[in-house]
Amino acid sequence: MTASSAVQIQEQNASARRARRRKFWAQAPSYVVLSAWSFFTIFVIGWVLIASLKTNAEVFRDVFNLPEKWQFTNYAKAWNAANFALYFRNSLIVTFSSVVCILAVSAPAAYVLSRMNFRGRGLLTTIFIAGMGIPVLLLLIPLFVIMTGIGVVNTLPGLILVYVTVAIPFTVYILTGFFASLPNELEEAGVIDGASDFGVFWHIMLPLASPGLITAAIFNGIMVWNEYLLVLVFVADSEKRTLSLGLYSLQNAMQYTGDWVGLFAGVSIVMIPTIILFVVLSERMISGITMGAVK
Amino acid sequence: MKTNPRLIILFLLPATAIYLAFFLVPAGWAFYYSAFDWSGFGEEMTFVGFKNYVRLMTTDPVFWESFFNTLKILVVGGAATFTIAFTLAVMLNSGIKGKKFFRALIFMPQVIAVIALTTLWAFAIYSPTTGVLPNFFALIGWEAGADYLWMSADHVFWSMLIAIIWIEVGFYVVLLLAGMDKIPMEYYEAARIEGANMWRQFWGITLPLMWDVVTIAVVLWSISAIKVFEFPFAFMGPTTDSHLYTMGVYLYVMGFGKRDPIFQLGYATAIGVLMLVLVVVTSVVIRRAMRRDVLQY
Repeated sequence: MTASSAVQIQEQNASARRARRRKFWAQAPSYVVLSAWSFFTIFVIGWVLIASLKTNAEVFRDVFNLPEKWQFTNYAKAWNAANFALYFRNSLIVTFSSVVCILAVSAPAAYVLSRMNFRGRGLLTTIFIAGMGIPVLLLLIPLFVIMTGIGVVNTLPGLILVYVTVAIPFTVYILTGFFASLPNELEEAGVIDGASDFGVFWHIMLPLASPGLITAAIFNGIMVWNEYLLVLVFVADSEKRTLSLGLYSLQNAMQYTGDWVGLFAGVSIVMIPTIILFVVLSERMISGITMGAVK
Repeated sequence: MKTNPRLIILFLLPATAIYLAFFLVPAGWAFYYSAFDWSGFGEEMTFVGFKNYVRLMTTDPVFWESFFNTLKILVVGGAATFTIAFTLAVMLNSGIKGKKFFRALIFMPQVIAVIALTTLWAFAIYSPTTGVLPNFFALIGWEAGADYLWMSADHVFWSMLIAIIWIEVGFYVVLLLAGMDKIPMEYYEAARIEGANMWRQFWGITLPLMWDVVTIAVVLWSISAIKVFEFPFAFMGPTTDSHLYTMGVYLYVMGFGKRDPIFQLGYATAIGVLMLVLVVVTSVVIRRAMRRDVLQY
């Protein structure tokens, strides 16, 4: 190696270092801001989880300390005394049934709207999607009259019917986009092989659309699990409450009970299932959001 | 494209029937109900024409307060949400490590029940006794910050708006980021060679090339901002007062009451109709104002 090429290599290394350092300093603000934002989120959620395992005295005395003894009895109390076991069961039933019915109703409609030819197809699609812009609050009072008329107010099947109804616009929207993006060739191959139109849908298109169906299921499942307005309106009996309405009444009772750690345990019971779901499926959910809006 | 009338009808029937009977028909009936004085389910209805609307707009200061609160969420909350979401999205898109990790954490509040988040903000963040914020300010010796009463009547609306922004930013970061991902990197390289800084790159390349996504995002924001209900309704518990009323909360309070039922059903429905009108007007205005020639690239 000659002296001049060694100098050259040294200069190249130095300029590469400079470039790296410049890039680091250019990116430093991004790291700081993104870390601060993320830290805040992790910290407050972690704080609630830890506070749910303290005693009430500890929550007030040592705001930033760990509990001396982990109070799992807070959860036992929420689970049994505050009826969260029952609410949890109701939430599972309502969420699962709603999601199954939402897909069973919306998927065939979305399939026909995106892949079959008939008069009024565009108009019907627009009418379905327009529902996304209509505030559900507008429907409450007339819907209450109708639900009372058919005798399903204050029943879990009635509540499921309401969830299926309000989920139709969004689900049809996301699934028509998905069905429309599937290739025609497989459909044609199915027809040539002698499959019926229903067979093509059931054996070919539905399996191909399963990523879209799963995305729709996740979003609707989380919506149903989390929402409390419709339960508040359409369910009166306390033993028919879902988990989020149970938490709402626990929060309302706070001014009488003063049981902060019990409330934090309730918050944790409501949010832990969806957080776990998100940790497992975050990539799929995040890509699902942009499916309709970004082509 | 195929046609099979029997299959088409069979497949469309369940969704259309449910949607018609439980969504479109009630939405239509709402207009009808809003023309009546009606003091409870099963009670006599008296036709009053437009009187509910007149009363709302001329003699009801609480309605105007809830309307302006809704407007503040829509405009001020929207401006803040989009400024923050754009900033975070540009930062995430600047070639940093851990992009997916940060994006997931920023998005996470979206999957948590709003009722859990109201409790979190009211009792774990803002509360003067146990709240993380006042205690943190006390810890670093900033007394004015430690003594600030986030949940007092004067402050509670803006405290709520901060929380709503924290929840919503994640959704728009994900949406805007997906729009940015479509833009070819060569444009940025060319701009850098020309000496354009990040600010110029954002206004010259990023924003114009993802304008369609931004338009959709703004429309989605306006729809969700106008119907905000769950957070303000639960934020102060049963003592909630008109400082936190949005149009949605006021509709609920007039229709179903807080602890004591009020049952002004026609009046409440009129608020719902006005919400729908606001959604339609806002969407049309946004689409008009944001209309640009689509840039092909």
